Amino acid sequence: METWGGTQRHLSRTAALMSVALLGMSACSGAATTGAPASAGAPATAGAATTGDITWWGWTPDATNATKLIAAFNKDYPGIKVTFVSKPIDSYDSVLGPAITSSKGPDVFDVAPGSANGGVQTFAPGAVDLTDTITAALGSDWKTKVAAAGVDPMTSDGKLVGLSVGAVYSGWMWINQDIFDKYNLKAPTNMAEWKTVCSTLEANGVGCFVQGAAQWAFDMDTFEAICDNIEPGLYIQATQGKVAWTDARFVKAMGIWKSLFDEGIMQQGAIGLQQYPDANNAFMAGKYAMVMMGTWYTQYAVKDSMLAAMSAAGVSNPTAMTLTPVPFPDLAGTGKTGSMFGDADYGFAVSAKSSQQDAAKIFAAWLATSQTGQQAVANTLNQIPALKGIGAQWDQIDLVNSTKQQDALKAYQQAASAATEPRFATVSADLNTAFRDALIGVATGDKTADQALAALQAVPPSK
Amino acid sequence: MSTASLQEAPGRSVVNAGRPGKRRSNRVGSRLAGLPWILPAVLLVVGLIYFPIGFTGYASTLDWNGFILSTPKEVGTANYAKMLGDDVFWQALWHTAYFYVITFSVQTVIGFAIAAVMHSKIRFGAVYKAIVFIPTVLAPATMAPVFRQIFDQYGQFNWLLSHIGLDSLTRPWLADPGTAMPVVMFITVWQWTGLTFILYYAAMAQVDTEVLEAARVDGASSLRVLRSIVWPMCRGTTAALAVLGLIGALKTFDIPYLVTKGGPNHGTEFLGTYIYQTMVQQKHFGYAAAIAIALLVLAVAGGSIMSVRNRRAGRDQ
Amino acid sequence: MFDVHSRASRIGLQILATLMVLPFLFPLLAAIQGSLGGLGIGNYAKVFNTGIVATVFTNSLIISAFTIGIVYAVTMLAAFGFAKLRLFGREVWFWVLLAALTVPEAVLLTPLFVVASTFDLYNELAAVILPLAAMQVPFTVLIARSFFDGIPTELMEAAKVDGASILRVFWSIILPLTRPITATIVVLTLINSWNAYLLPMLMLNDQSKQVVTLLPSFFVSQYTNDQTGVLAAAVITAIPEILVYLALQKYFERGLAAGALK
Repeated sequence: METWGGTQRHLSRTAALMSVALLGMSACSGAATTGAPASAGAPATAGAATTGDITWWGWTPDATNATKLIAAFNKDYPGIKVTFVSKPIDSYDSVLGPAITSSKGPDVFDVAPGSANGGVQTFAPGAVDLTDTITAALGSDWKTKVAAAGVDPMTSDGKLVGLSVGAVYSGWMWINQDIFDKYNLKAPTNMAEWKTVCSTLEANGVGCFVQGAAQWAFDMDTFEAICDNIEPGLYIQATQGKVAWTDARFVKAMGIWKSLFDEGIMQQGAIGLQQYPDANNAFMAGKYAMVMMGTWYTQYAVKDSMLAAMSAAGVSNPTAMTLTPVPFPDLAGTGKTGSMFGDADYGFAVSAKSSQQDAAKIFAAWLATSQTGQQAVANTLNQIPALKGIGAQWDQIDLVNSTKQQDALKAYQQAASAATEPRFATVSADLNTAFRDALIGVATGDKTADQALAALQAVPPSK
Repeated sequence: MSTASLQEAPGRSVVNAGRPGKRRSNRVGSRLAGLPWILPAVLLVVGLIYFPIGFTGYASTLDWNGFILSTPKEVGTANYAKMLGDDVFWQALWHTAYFYVITFSVQTVIGFAIAAVMHSKIRFGAVYKAIVFIPTVLAPATMAPVFRQIFDQYGQFNWLLSHIGLDSLTRPWLADPGTAMPVVMFITVWQWTGLTFILYYAAMAQVDTEVLEAARVDGASSLRVLRSIVWPMCRGTTAALAVLGLIGALKTFDIPYLVTKGGPNHGTEFLGTYIYQTMVQQKHFGYAAAIAIALLVLAVAGGSIMSVRNRRAGRDQ
Repeated sequence: MFDVHSRASRIGLQILATLMVLPFLFPLLAAIQGSLGGLGIGNYAKVFNTGIVATVFTNSLIISAFTIGIVYAVTMLAAFGFAKLRLFGREVWFWVLLAALTVPEAVLLTPLFVVASTFDLYNELAAVILPLAAMQVPFTVLIARSFFDGIPTELMEAAKVDGASILRVFWSIILPLTRPITATIVVLTLINSWNAYLLPMLMLNDQSKQVVTLLPSFFVSQYTNDQTGVLAAAVITAIPEILVYLALQKYFERGLAAGALK
């Protein structure tokens, strides 16, 4: 991340533009549905291939959403058949490696920034450069037209490995509004309120906050939220080696992290559970009132998604619950709250071994850069679209409880779009592992904050 | 034809199967008559197992992320040096050691006991036998989510405890290394006792009932008969299970990986899980390969030492 | 084993047996209970509605059948060679096979991929069948060899006197005696090939080539996890194995009894 300074300036500009764009959201989306699709999504190889049969591999989206996206694509390009193959996230890298080394692998595959699965740096040697494709679609100033999360983090050694489809952000929490209303509670804004909320809930036999702390990516979300509360941007600077992890502010952050366990905010046994499926299912089953999840949870504001999620969690005859997003409480007492951080959720890379690269590029460009494609992404409510100016069409979406949710959701998406900080994009695989040992070690009391932070500091900074 | 009539020399086990001398004169053909017969098996195994071992040995000298298209860097023995100084590696070894001792002992006792009971006059014996063996048939991946739920704070195990008046014992079992390891062992025992049981059950079918009757006539109790007659006659089975159990313990992967991911805090880390995480998550393929080679050396050495000892014990009998 | 004459002791033993067996049953019931959460029996409908149940069962069936076939053929030949024929360096050859038992599967994956691409087998069922067979053969040879050791050599001698070739002796005298060990090999190989997860996941990328162990993962993606679907899929997957085991149970036990592990 040598170009960080520049990126950051660029990011804040992006953010400003984005908020403006979001204010005119409904207008934009209205235009999008009637706009001429093919012109917006015309790829570098326009006209070269309007027929084809391509395979797309990814750990996300889920099959239902992928089907919707492909159906929308086929309205514009009926001649290109796309087959989506969902691969489990845990084993994605082991499966993808062999596949894109062979000509029998996928034509298009998901990549993600940083040390996550499908890492852009890891798989760059197996992908083609998409700079020409995106330039043809959006013009040479394409970098100003898409969210920053999809530019540098999707690039490896000057090669644009993936076209970002959309981003996910974390940093806020989700609450079960029905439970909060039932006990006349307000979302906590500081530690004292949080403890009061928890004791009220627990007195009524309802769990308070649930986290699958064994799946440490979500611990890192919580920790980054705490750090942002102390000093926005601090965490990211440390991942880049600009601030030492042993800095006193991180000692304070570790203290707050530990207090979540000591004060009984984290449910008992958090360390033994995975966020998925354990914490997610417990929350969906209504056993807990709060959870640390990101923008991907927006889809559950919609009635049928919520019902499906609840019955998947084992609830018989569910009544859809009302979810609302709330900012992370001001645990550090600085008043600096509400910031979010995020990465491109996934981008499309085109396999260098693919025999159908033209068709693959058309599909990638359509979904990542065209108005129609991005509107389809926005409406799945799974990601914040990569292309600026596209937002969900709330009036067309069947929310569980529109009066209670709509404003909160709009504020939430606005905060997400304003976010400038990455989530995992600057975290190397080694730092990621070190975080597991540090955060879980502190939580169980096996490590002191100083020991844990010294271990983080010992990891060489990423290039 | 009854299998019993094919048997001779009870007490011989897998691990001393090739005891030389006894039947050599009976074997037929020229010096290499057997070669074409064993060749398909040898080729299959050498081609598909030994090549990967060689490849892994080579990879253990590299700094490489495991993606075929990316270029590796030669690092000599650096990965091995790193391994010797890696606390998690030693922790995993220590876990393997006591995991093996405990799970093997428990499986042996329970498997043997159930086998003895099933050879007695029991109703629904066939159903019971099937229930005990079915876990062995199931894929660990199938059952992992179930066990995670059972041992959860709100899981069925705590429910059971609180209904038999042991409220004070309820806890989130997977959250503490001190209880997560016993859970991993429990699942292992649950899954593999079926095999132990069925082998003892089979071995007991070979025990001559007249010997047992004679002992009873002499006034020996059932327990005494089991201990002094049946148990020694199953020695071969026990020895074979000990070797297989050791190899299995060193290779332990599925259950801790799927149930606890080696956590919390590496509390259920085994060599297998550590190799996988290092390889897939951290993308240090070379380092993972070095640990894999260490595992192979340990398994071959451990297996051979135990087999040789068993063979000696068998000869001394 | 336990000599029970009185009614009380018979009941006592029955209770003891039940108590020992219950812990094995408990998790199985929990699995079934979990698979009936939410939509109840509808979860099973959900699994069938994925439309891939027939495909994955067919593929797993093909993989298991071929793996069993290869393992059986190779094992029988080798066991006969080891047990009944003269062979220079017999124990060395035997240990070459046995040492392969110690290799963990995860270590094999990347190198096996290299092998598969060299022979252009990537994405072919053979890329799963052959390694599965190779991993199974050491153990089956181990038990089959001892089974063959138990067959009296005099049977062969007699046939040889009558002028039969070794091949003929193997085919018409030895093989007919091997039904129990065959059942054992079939059951053990079936368990391992039907439950194989990592290899098929890595080597087969076409949707049309997926296997049963990947069925539960159909209900898991990054931000969703349908636990009831996972469990229902798992139960459906396990049923054929259990049925085969129950059908072959009698021979399976005899084979183990007569094999080395006694």
